[in-house]
Amino acid sequence: MISTIVKQEWRLLQADRTLGAVVLLMGLLVGYSLYNGSAWVGFQRETLAGAEAEQSKRLAKLKQDLEDFEAGRKEPKGFQDPRSAGAIGGVTAAPHVAMPPAPLATLAIGQSDLYPYYFKLNPRSKQAILANDEIENPTNLLAGRFDLAFVLIYLFPLLILALGYNMVASEREQGTLLLALSQPVTMGQLVAGKVLLRGGLLLGLVVAFTLAGALVTGVDLGSGTVWLRLGLWIAMMTLYAGFWFGLAVLVNSWQSSSATNALTLAGCWLGLVLVAPSVANLLATSLYPVPSRVEMVQAMRRAGKEAQLKGSTLLAKYMEDHPELMPEGEKTQPDFASITYAVQMEVDKQVQPVLDQFDRQVTRQQEFADRFRFISPAILAQSAMNDLAGTSLGRYQHFSRQVDGFFEEWRAYFLPKIFQKTKLKAADLESFPRYSFREEEDAAITGRVGVVLAGMAAFSSVVLMVGFGRIKSARAAG
Amino acid sequence: MIGYIAHKEMREMRRDGRFQVAAGIVMTLLVVSVAIGWEQYVTVSRQHEQARAETREQWLTQGKKNPHSAAHYGVYAFKPKSPLSLVDRGADPYTGVAVWLEAHKQNEFKYKPARDANTLARFGDLTASSVMQLLIPLLIILMSFSAFAGEKEQGTLRLLLSMGVAREKLAIGKALGIAGGLGTLLVPAAVMGSAALMLGSEEGAFSANLPRLAWMTASYLLYFAAFIGLSLTVSAMARTGRLALVCLLGFWIFNGLAAPRLMSDVSRTIYRTPSSFAFAREMESELKKEQSEEALKRKVMAQYKVEKMEDLPVNFQGIALQASEEHGNEVYDRLYGQLWDTFEAQNRLQQQGAVVAPLLAMRSVSMGLSGTDFAQFRDFSVAAEQYRRQLIEVLNDDITKAGKQEGPHLGDERLWAKAPPFVYEAPGVGRVLSQQCWSLSLLAVWATSGAALAGWAATRRLRAE
Amino acid sequence: MLQAIGLTKTYGTQTALHPLDLEVKPGEIFCLLGANGAGKTTTINLFLNFIEPSGGRALINGRDVAEYPLETKKEIAYIPEQVSLYRNLTGMENLEYFATLANGRELGRAKLMEYLREVDLPAGAEDRKVSGYSKGMRQKIVIAMAMAKQAKALLLDEPTSGLDPKASNEFSRLIGRLAGQGTAVLMATHDLFRAKEDGSRVGIMRQGKLRQVLNTDEFGHADLERIYLEHMHD
Ligand SMILES: Nc1ncnc2c1ncn2[C@@H]1O[C@H](COP(=O)(O)OP(=O)(O)OP(=O)(O)O)[C@@H](O)[C@H]1O
Ligand SMILES: [Mg+2]
Repeated sequence: MISTIVKQEWRLLQADRTLGAVVLLMGLLVGYSLYNGSAWVGFQRETLAGAEAEQSKRLAKLKQDLEDFEAGRKEPKGFQDPRSAGAIGGVTAAPHVAMPPAPLATLAIGQSDLYPYYFKLNPRSKQAILANDEIENPTNLLAGRFDLAFVLIYLFPLLILALGYNMVASEREQGTLLLALSQPVTMGQLVAGKVLLRGGLLLGLVVAFTLAGALVTGVDLGSGTVWLRLGLWIAMMTLYAGFWFGLAVLVNSWQSSSATNALTLAGCWLGLVLVAPSVANLLATSLYPVPSRVEMVQAMRRAGKEAQLKGSTLLAKYMEDHPELMPEGEKTQPDFASITYAVQMEVDKQVQPVLDQFDRQVTRQQEFADRFRFISPAILAQSAMNDLAGTSLGRYQHFSRQVDGFFEEWRAYFLPKIFQKTKLKAADLESFPRYSFREEEDAAITGRVGVVLAGMAAFSSVVLMVGFGRIKSARAAG
Repeated sequence: MIGYIAHKEMREMRRDGRFQVAAGIVMTLLVVSVAIGWEQYVTVSRQHEQARAETREQWLTQGKKNPHSAAHYGVYAFKPKSPLSLVDRGADPYTGVAVWLEAHKQNEFKYKPARDANTLARFGDLTASSVMQLLIPLLIILMSFSAFAGEKEQGTLRLLLSMGVAREKLAIGKALGIAGGLGTLLVPAAVMGSAALMLGSEEGAFSANLPRLAWMTASYLLYFAAFIGLSLTVSAMARTGRLALVCLLGFWIFNGLAAPRLMSDVSRTIYRTPSSFAFAREMESELKKEQSEEALKRKVMAQYKVEKMEDLPVNFQGIALQASEEHGNEVYDRLYGQLWDTFEAQNRLQQQGAVVAPLLAMRSVSMGLSGTDFAQFRDFSVAAEQYRRQLIEVLNDDITKAGKQEGPHLGDERLWAKAPPFVYEAPGVGRVLSQQCWSLSLLAVWATSGAALAGWAATRRLRAE
Repeated sequence: MLQAIGLTKTYGTQTALHPLDLEVKPGEIFCLLGANGAGKTTTINLFLNFIEPSGGRALINGRDVAEYPLETKKEIAYIPEQVSLYRNLTGMENLEYFATLANGRELGRAKLMEYLREVDLPAGAEDRKVSGYSKGMRQKIVIAMAMAKQAKALLLDEPTSGLDPKASNEFSRLIGRLAGQGTAVLMATHDLFRAKEDGSRVGIMRQGKLRQVLNTDEFGHADLERIYLEHMHD
């Protein structure tokens, strides 16, 4: 019975050219958004490759220079001794630490245009490094990107609603509903047939276009983690589509006119996709305001000023605490580099509580916002998609923890040498700490996305159940 | 006659439950967003004021030290929040709030609020401007999609036309009715917003911002008028209300959601933004092209007509520092100038995109008049940079003039006070208007062509069948 | 075949149908007459289970339609007041769809063509879009549907309104033929002439009440009009 209805729907869609329009529109939207995503990923990769190349060139030159100094072929000169740990650790060997785009990064640009994806480290100050940004026109950041996630979160529901808002109403309005219901079929079967065809069609198109686009834009479909992520992505999309179809069914069960249905559904879309997130954001920022960066800057300044005034005293104190760092057999003037570092360490120590407080507050707000994701399927979808594409806050934090760790390692390696005024040799290059990005564990992503999927499943099953429950018992007329 | 039609339209609207609910929601959002915007503006302004005073205080009380050390210590400049940011936060969340002004370097603004914001923020801020740019056009569509199409479907149009009502009067009446309905909503909101602005801003700031507010009001009215005209046109041409609604919603989505993203992509493709890595590399290599110390020495000796460096009446260190500073300034002006020109070219292109989507013009005008667009960020950046140069020059001059003296040369509070505090004057409304002339004229074109189209559609295209 | 037992419908305080008792036997054509708003459509809708009865029962072949909505629908065919089909599909496609829904299986084009010939649809029209059909042609498609369903009862709501005299004459003959094969027909109509011609019995309704039932062979055309108007005037 349902198959007859599905077949009829197919005919109807074909006959009024909806089908062609939907396929074309879907293809254009998905194609363009993936092109956009891959352009951005390409830009990131290019930048990282450039940074990588520059770094190895720099290191090769450093090695050559050191060998030349050792062999006496060249004289070290300049404001800072090029063999000093300060010059090498902070300038000539300063490493780039990068977060390469995740395998599915083309699908959702997410927060990746806002958070930096590479830093150039030095052993001095972590704060100064982490505050760096990729260059971008603020107006563009404000507008956001036309990526697949945008298409799926904002436009896909509209297509669903456009195909679904008058599922029953149009048949009622053209008079065929009575004829159909005078046959041995229920309204539930009729609507199920319609939803199955339209939903299957839209989902099938999106999945097919996405996979094709992913292939074309060079996503490596060979690895297991890619399939896991793609699978979760498709599951997410299916549930999200289910929710909007459910909503269309529910609204159709009220038996109002097509125009009223369209208005109601447009209102729901507006409320869930545009208004709910901004209201939630408003609540989060008013209930858990992030302390002002301006105040933080001032606190850092205050700490810095004190430390600087104490300058050489600080170094002396530091040396008392770390006698092993005393330059051998020297009682010479403390040099500029050592004082700078001693001051910096003191500033870091003083500022740490301020930063911790700041981070705690940001985390609290984010946790609140995370709970508020469950007020709208659109927020859930965004959150899951960014996680799967590896462009979420979660992955950035994962990266910045690695940067933290590596910064400590780098500093631990160079700092003693700076204080001891060690001159580095070409051979030392081998023993420098090395950085390589560790991708997030699949389990971590599955964990984060799983919660969201569960929430989404709850949303869609509730509306689908209520919608079909009402439609099933609906009669042809009041 | 026209008044009578408008009156009937408004009565119908007021009775329509859908309009009541929608208007209630929009009104609430508007009030809440203005209140929040006001609160934010007041808090942030206070913080910035305090920080500004403190950074000056720190500068003055940094104690005796070498002037160049003081130059390295530097000061901070904090981007002030403009009073009208309570209406439109614009690009503010995406521009840094603080910049460190120190020797040798033009630093970037740090701490974009968006980076500290939670992830919900990317869905868009709830501000009075987003309500007015997105939700009110939707409300207009809701109020007017059935203006003609509905009468056609109900069959009342035939009745009306058979009474001998002139079509243009009908159209004007309907437009006025919608405008009146909107007015009952917007006038109280506007009054409230102005009151908030008056309370929030210090003395003088309010009256200084009045021209901006007036222009802003006028441009939003043009924007709304464009939507009324457009909606009536579609309503007159569409066979059914449903068709009119679907077309108008389609346009609304394109205008509000797709166009800004599309145009930003297009502008980025045409005017490419460099990566910060490439930018920093170029900066580095340009900065290295400084003239050699030897050349500078020769030049200075020639200038002072001495044969040996020892005979210089001034301290060469100061001159060298200033020379390198000036080389840097030239490089910064050139490279940052190029980068920012790129951004402005992108923004201009986006404004021109208003040919297809009026939101792009409206957004630009609104940000501009609120003082939260990129151009005004740039203006502040340039002012801060000028101040940095002035400050460093004072210090370098002092080193130069110290000549050769015994022992280290130290500056004190007298010297620190020689550099005036940083005061910033936001550009006047004239500057903003000249930057926004494209957008403003496009808005005017949209409004007039909306009206003309509606008139044409009502007189030529409106069929009773 | 069709039986109403104390069938009632109220909307709020307004009674659209007072308790109605009625039986239409196989092979019988029962015509419901009455002014606008008399309750004719309400009665038919109740038999179709399109609306919920406020009281009483509607039976088809002895089974309550509210209890067995799907089973009873297999036995009836319905022709609505406004015959509307999917405008973008051809007559044949429309027929195919509804006939498949009705029978639970596809009948095949050849079989459906037979029915279309039987209702005398102009040759070649079956493959044209319905949007180009006249009202009579659409009517014929729906009658073909009823035939394809081989329904035991036929519910017709003002089927001849808007048809030209020749078309409504053809329609009457078709209905007569179906009744001849044993189908029970319940038809709401404003056409006194056709009611007298085609019906075996006529019922006159007013304000939700069935006021009088007459056998058509017991009076002439003029009598029917007089009786009808008498009911409408008091
Ligand atoms: N959904 C409804 N809500 C309220 N009243 C209704 C509803 N449907 C029908 N009615 C009322 O029930 C009564 C009977 O209506 P019905 O449609 O059965 O009349 P009818 O005999 O078919 O008239 P017509 O000749 O105009 O088709 C009318 O008074 C009508 O106003
Ligand atoms: Mg009727």
